[in-house]
Formats: sequence, C-alpha cells, structure tokens
Amino acid sequence: MSTQKILIVDDDANLRQALRLRLRANHYDTVHAVDGYSAIAQAYKERPDLIILDLGLPAGDGFVVLDRLQRDDKLSDIPVVVLTARDPQSSEERAFAAGATAFFQKPADNGELLDMIRAALPRTSPPPAMPS
Amino acid sequence: MSEPTTHVLLIEDNPGDADLIRLRLVEGKSPVDVSCAHRLADGLASLAQKPPSVLLLDLNLPDSQGADTYRRVLEKAPNVPVVILSGQDDEELAINALHQGAQDYLVKDAITSGGLDRAMRYAVERQALLRSLEMSRKQQLEFKNKFLSHVSHELRTPLTCIHQFVTILLDGLAGELTPEQREHLTTVLKSANQLGAMVRDLLEATRAESGKIRIERRCVSIPDLARLAVTMLQAAAREKRVGLELGVDAALPFVHGDPDRILEVLINLIDNGIKFTPPEGAVTVQASRALMDPDFACISVVDTGCGIPPEARALIFERLYQDPNAIDDNRKGLGLGLFITKELVELQGGRIWVASEPGQGSTFSFTLPLYSLAKLLTPVIVHEQRLRESLVLVRVDLLPRTRPPRGNWKDICSRALELLQRCVYLDKDLVLPPMTSSGPEQTFFTVASTDMRGAEIMMTRIREQMSQLTELKGNGDCMVSATAVPLPDSQGGRSLEEQVQGVADCVTEMARIATRPRRVSDSAGKSMENAGHAPA
Repeated sequence: MSTQKILIVDDDANLRQALRLRLRANHYDTVHAVDGYSAIAQAYKERPDLIILDLGLPAGDGFVVLDRLQRDDKLSDIPVVVLTARDPQSSEERAFAAGATAFFQKPADNGELLDMIRAALPRTSPPPAMPS
Repeated sequence: MSEPTTHVLLIEDNPGDADLIRLRLVEGKSPVDVSCAHRLADGLASLAQKPPSVLLLDLNLPDSQGADTYRRVLEKAPNVPVVILSGQDDEELAINALHQGAQDYLVKDAITSGGLDRAMRYAVERQALLRSLEMSRKQQLEFKNKFLSHVSHELRTPLTCIHQFVTILLDGLAGELTPEQREHLTTVLKSANQLGAMVRDLLEATRAESGKIRIERRCVSIPDLARLAVTMLQAAAREKRVGLELGVDAALPFVHGDPDRILEVLINLIDNGIKFTPPEGAVTVQASRALMDPDFACISVVDTGCGIPPEARALIFERLYQDPNAIDDNRKGLGLGLFITKELVELQGGRIWVASEPGQGSTFSFTLPLYSLAKLLTPVIVHEQRLRESLVLVRVDLLPRTRPPRGNWKDICSRALELLQRCVYLDKDLVLPPMTSSGPEQTFFTVASTDMRGAEIMMTRIREQMSQLTELKGNGDCMVSATAVPLPDSQGGRSLEEQVQGVADCVTEMARIATRPRRVSDSAGKSMENAGHAPA
C-alpha cells in the first residue's frame, strides 16, 4: 500500500513541524512549502494527494496558490484544505469559490482536521490504518 | 477681504414675512443669495437639488404643520443647518425642534438683520463642528474594530502553535508521559482553550458592535437544540458535580431563528450556570410558550448558584462586565459572553433578562419568535373560502457523500433551496423554511396543492433542476419523495381557520418526525472544546 502524500504550506516553521508530526503519526507522508511561490513549485514536483494551505503567505498568498492550482488540469483535482488564522466570515466563501475543499480556522481541532483530510483524500488507495 | 456668498433657502408661506426676512438678509453684512419656497414640498425639492448653506424654516406651512415639518426636513437633509422661524404663539414648537437637532430659532416679529446674520453664522459653524465630531467618532470606531480584528488574528498564530504542540505531547506522539506531566499539560491545554475562546469573543463582540453578525433564519426545534446543548456540556457539569437537566415542552412549535446562534446562546447561558453553581447544585434548561405573548417561545436556564445582587443585574448584559466578587480563576473571562448573548437574541427578534435573588440562584430567560406555519399556509391551501381538495408534502433530501462533507456544503444546500423555489407555483405551493438537523444532511419540505399524480410531475421537475447543480455532483446525493397530507373532515363543523391550523399541525408533525435527529451524540462532540485528539 502506498502512503498518501500531503503538502503542508505555511510560513510558520513551528506550525509546519507540528502538522508534520501529527500527520506522520497518522501514516501520511509530508512535504513542505513556506510561501506561495514554492507551494506551486512543490505541487508540480511532488504531486501531493492533498494540500494543507495557509492563506496569509509571503510571495503570493493562499488565494494566488488556489487560483494557480485551479488553472492547471494536472493539479486542479488535488483537494485543498485551507487552514488559516483569518476570519471565516471574510475569507471562507472566497476560499470555496477559489476551489478549496474545506476551511478551518486556526487553532483547528485535530480530530476534525484529520476527519476532513480522510474524507477529502481521493479513494484510489485504501485509507491509512489508524495507529492504536 | 470678500466673504463667500451664503446660500440661504427660505421656506415660508406668508408672503409678507418672506419679504421682510429677505430684506433683513440683504441688509446684513455678509453676501447672501436667497431662494424662497412657499410650500414644504417645493422646499424639499430645492433641498435635494441644491443643498443650501443654511435653511430658514417656518414650521407651519400649507402642506405640513408643526414638529412634522422639521422631521421631514431632517430626513431629507440631515446635514443642512436649520434655523427655525417661529411666531409669538408657537415658540414651544421651535424649542422642540431645537431638541431634535435644529441649530437655532428666531421669533419673526423680533428679527433684526444683525441677529439674523449671527444666528445663521452660528448655525453653520455648529453644524460643521457636529459633522466633524460625528466623522471622528465613526473613524475611531472603525479603527477600534480594525485593531481588534487584527489583534485577534495575530493572537491566533502563537495560540495555534501552543495548541498543536501540547496536543502532540498529550497524545503521546513525542514519547510516554508521566501522570504528573500529563496533568500539567492538561492545565496548559485548558488555558490555551480559554484563551482561544476569549479571542473568539473579542471578534464576535466587535462584529456585534458594528452590526456584522450574520443571522440565517430557519425553522428550529428548540427541544432538539436544548437537548444538543445539554449533551455538549454534560461532561463539564459532571466534572463540577453539578446536575444538568432538561425540562422542555416537547410539543413546543418551531421557532424562526438561526440554529447556530441559538445554540451559541444556550451554550453561553448553560456554561455560565455551571460556572456559578457550587457542587451538588443543578442547572435546568426549560422551554415553553411565553406566558405574556403566545407568539414567542420562552427558554430559561435556571441555576442554584450564588445569585446576582440587584445592582449587578442591570449591568450584567453590558460589555466588559465582570463579577467583582468572582474568586475562582475559571470564572474570569473578558466579560463579553452575556453582551454577545444579548446581541444574538435581539438580532433574532427576542429579548433576554435575568431574575435572581442572592443566594437563591439565577434564571436567565430569553424569547424567540415562534414560526407560524398556519399564517404562511393560508394563502396557499385555501382557495375560494375552502381547503384545497388534496395536498402533498414533497420532501427533498440532500445527503453528503463524505463525513464531513466536502466543498462548501452549506452553500450547496442554499443553492438547492433556490432551485427548489423555481419548481413550485407560488400561489399553490409553499417551500417551508429549512428545518434544523443535527448532521450535515439537509431536508427541504414543500407543501403542494396537488394530488399524487401532480406530485410525480413536480418531483421529476425537482430532480431535473437538482441535476443542474454541478457542485452537488461528486459531493452529495439528492433524494426526492412525496406523501399525501391527510386533510381534516370539513363536515366536522370546524371553522376554516381551525382546519388550516389542523393542516399546519399535521405538516409540522410529519416534518418533525422526518427530521428527528438520528443520533444526537453524532454532532455533539463537534463543537466541544476538544482535548488533544488521539486518532481513534
């Protein structure tokens, strides 16, 4: 069984590390990007199964990333879970309109976030086994 | 040095008075140009076309008299300085207008050119000052709101970091913990969650103040919501050894409100009740029709806590109010909870109040408007003074493929509701406001004045419309079904109103049974302040 790969896009190094630990414990593979520009580059290079995307990013914010992903046939199918400190009232609708699969405000509940990742991942491979 | 010309609009019906004032104006030191209107309607038209520097207004005109005249001027041109022209006998009217915001008044018989000149100057100056004060008040409010929204955003990033790493440690992802370490980390997590709740309240209060809270009204079952709120807070009550009970009238009709906001209100009140009730005490949630007004539901949260002294009762719903006697650290917050709660209730057309005796506990009560299906149904199901021959309840279910649903499920559901509206005849059918459900599944009901054959055609139309909703494809499924509504026997001597009420009750019951939450516990954990999540 191949492990599913998640691209974590966040400019906060601590948060990237925390998400990596959490996702690896749940048997996902992770790759990282620190800004909008490298997020798109990583998406092309790594072809992740899912992207966790912060909205407030240097070098092209999250909406720019969403837009670029949508416009490329090879990337537009990748589910994007937005994880941001921004107010949902001002950015949730815009994120969905730009192609996001789900929207979470930081700090998000880990259980809800993992449930969503499981639901959003394409069903080509069986879902990863849960650690005890 | 030449002064700029003052544009004066004079609204005065007495030609003699008008001429006299015009004369006094021209005699004055500063250059003026005067336009004159004899009726209020002409004056208002002129105000709209070219706002003058100052308006001289007689209150008694052929087409408007007294206080009403100034009120109509204020509506049309709130920023134009107004000097009232009064007679000897109606000075009181003029003084009233001053209270409403007019700048000055002059008694017509005693007008001198110097006095008139000065009154106009002062009026213009004061009005300009008022406007700049109002502008700076608005700017300050806007700045404060921006600042608070910025602060709460910036606080979230470090808060997220604390939350993430503490839960990583608590979930054992970084190695085993000793019981003592676990205990300390649980305290850190609890404090971080409290901080998170404060940041949320800060933003919510800012929104309430600037009128930016969104309310999405639906048909809401209060008994179901109260049960959900009690389930969500049961653990917190148990931890404090406080009983948490439910005493709601199960037959309470639906209310018309936003279920998420009502739940927020219930949680705030119950949570407060638990906080201020000592161990072995109890918090009870009650709901029934309001005694004073049968068009409202009244929901109460009763505790057996320390009670609230009379002087605090008046302040308790104010922003930043905190109980000065609270010692327990857990009781402390920003003092925004009840302020937000009050705003949420009032935005939904209800009121909130508290009754309490120190030492005897407190009862927080709020009302919400009941949803009257009979009123909405009447024009649809009554035709030529009789009930229609047959009625059908058409049900549309939207079921997400995944849990939680993918995409903007809420938006998909509201788009589906719009499409459903297009499938009905407005004079014969009624799409009911959406019902609350405990899960993401959404059910829409339509009462259609047709028989089962007609319902088949309608269902085909609905299925066709829903297949146009591209966002639904892949994310969810749509199911459509229909049931005949049993009609009351018109021979029974019941009035038409009673018959309509009978149908409304029957439809309500059918909808209530159909949307009864399957498992309340399903969504109960969702909004709880969850401790660290160990993958199940």
